[in-house]
Amino acid sequence: MLSDLQLNSILQDFDIAYWKINLFSKEISWSDHFGNLVGDPKIEEDRFEFFINHILHPDYRYDFRIHFEKLIADHETFKFEIKLKLGNGKYRWFECKNLKSKDNSFRETAVLLFVNIHQTKRDQYTIEENFFYYRETAEMTSTGGWYVDTINKNIYWDDVTKKILDCPRDFQPAYEKRESFYAEEHHNRMKSAFDKCENFGIPFKLELKMISFQNREYWVRLTGKPVYDDDQQVIGIRGVLQNIDENKNNELNLQNSLDIIASQNSRLFNFAHIVSHHLRSHSSNLSLIVELLREAKTDRDKLDLLANVDDVAGNLDSAISRLNNIVSVQSSLKKERVKIKFEEALEIVLASISSLINRENAKIVAEFQDLKEISYIPEYLESILLNLITNAIRYKQPGRKPVIFIQTYIENEKEFLEISDNGMGIDLDEYGDKMFGMYRTFHHTSQEAKGIGLFITKNQVEALGGAISVSSTLDIGTTFKIKF
Amino acid sequence: MGQKVELACIIDDDKIYVNLVKKIIEIKKLSENLLIYKNGKEALDYFKNSMSSVTHENLLPDIIFLDLNMPVMDGWEFLNEFLKIKNNLNKKITLYVVSSSIDPRDLERVKSFNMVTDYLIKPIELKKFEKIFDKTAA
Repeated sequence: MLSDLQLNSILQDFDIAYWKINLFSKEISWSDHFGNLVGDPKIEEDRFEFFINHILHPDYRYDFRIHFEKLIADHETFKFEIKLKLGNGKYRWFECKNLKSKDNSFRETAVLLFVNIHQTKRDQYTIEENFFYYRETAEMTSTGGWYVDTINKNIYWDDVTKKILDCPRDFQPAYEKRESFYAEEHHNRMKSAFDKCENFGIPFKLELKMISFQNREYWVRLTGKPVYDDDQQVIGIRGVLQNIDENKNNELNLQNSLDIIASQNSRLFNFAHIVSHHLRSHSSNLSLIVELLREAKTDRDKLDLLANVDDVAGNLDSAISRLNNIVSVQSSLKKERVKIKFEEALEIVLASISSLINRENAKIVAEFQDLKEISYIPEYLESILLNLITNAIRYKQPGRKPVIFIQTYIENEKEFLEISDNGMGIDLDEYGDKMFGMYRTFHHTSQEAKGIGLFITKNQVEALGGAISVSSTLDIGTTFKIKF
Repeated sequence: MGQKVELACIIDDDKIYVNLVKKIIEIKKLSENLLIYKNGKEALDYFKNSMSSVTHENLLPDIIFLDLNMPVMDGWEFLNEFLKIKNNLNKKITLYVVSSSIDPRDLERVKSFNMVTDYLIKPIELKKFEKIFDKTAA
């Protein structure tokens, strides 16, 4: 048996204080350590009342008193977490419990232990608090956690991840099918990121489309970091995934609006450019003629100059009608799209330029079987075909019979039209960036070139949300590709 | 009137404008001879060819009126190409950019070329033409 002294010192080391209660006299004696912790009462004061009124936190007074009475009277088990005011005036958490005596008949004294649990209690609070913040943040930002055990081939998702992916709480994702949670176009990116992380420990941060349990596509931000064992071998990948669908869609919409604004802005610039360059050039010619008329001495000179006025008037007229063309591209956005068969649109166009085709002996091959029709503005489709076909014939390679190959198809769910020729080609290094600008002609030979066709074509394609690109080889031919 | 310009050059694709200027030069007897090119490339080819001649200074103009907007090779491209061969030309050539553009960006851009004497906005008055020729001949 340990002596009281030895026991005292051990208990003190463990920061455990105690009361000894004489069950007959109800007399309470405090261990030295307890006295040290809370300070001793004045001699005349009752220790219990002093404890209740000055040491114990008011919240626990009533319960403590009841429990204590039961302990004394019925020897009932006593276990209670309380806050005590220490010598320094601060409250600390203690667990208060009675020491169970093995021998039930021995009921002379009861021992009540006070174990300092303040640190534990605080840790517990911190953990609870952290967990609360974690959970709230995860819910609020739709961020879920996941772990892939690369050794045992298992996937673990937390509740938020499951919620993001619309799947039931008891759902267990299968390792072999992990690709199927991602949109097909992102399989490669996802696989290469996971492989690199598993094999070389390279962390990743990706924006991908995932597929939910209900087969809906979501944009998520996915981060992953390797988990190492003691031998520095990667045993898993741990990360979070955040639902950014709304953000991503907003971002895409914003980008889309930006593109529309940019393209409209560039058209406005072009418009200002025509007004500044081309309308003014005619008006300045007119004023020059007027000045010369004043100086002209003979009737013959005057008549010559009047003929020039006629030319200027004609040029001005066609400049204005071209301007009108450009403006009407802008306003026609309100026009309805209808289903048009490529075959029919081409027929109309070919009929209108049959004399050009016959004169140049041009051969036109069309393949529309992969994409027979499109929802578009008929006038635009015809205008696009007309511009590109006449261009192809006009810029034929001298001495070569012009052949034009027209093809429609679907690629990545997008509709395409391609028009290729065997003509003289364009030096794209030199003219590439200017091709679709206004009043651009690239070939010396052509008198008919107005330099406006490709500009209008590009405008029409872009006005309906499409894009046009060109590839060309000098002396071999040119291909225009339109994405609708 | 004192001295006269020997050879003037107009690079412009606007036929009406070119005809009118031609008339002015004839009426006012501003230059002995006149070179006319409808784009920068034709003019540049001519300059390059004449460089091979020993007495090429006689083939080169005293004054150039350069338009900006032209097909094939526009005024800007011509200026860049001309800059490269300018030092090999055995003659002082006065160069005016003449355009109907009133776009301030064009004006700024022209200023960046030191060899351009001035930027003239169409239409140019008869008196202005005379002044320019007088100045060049002097």
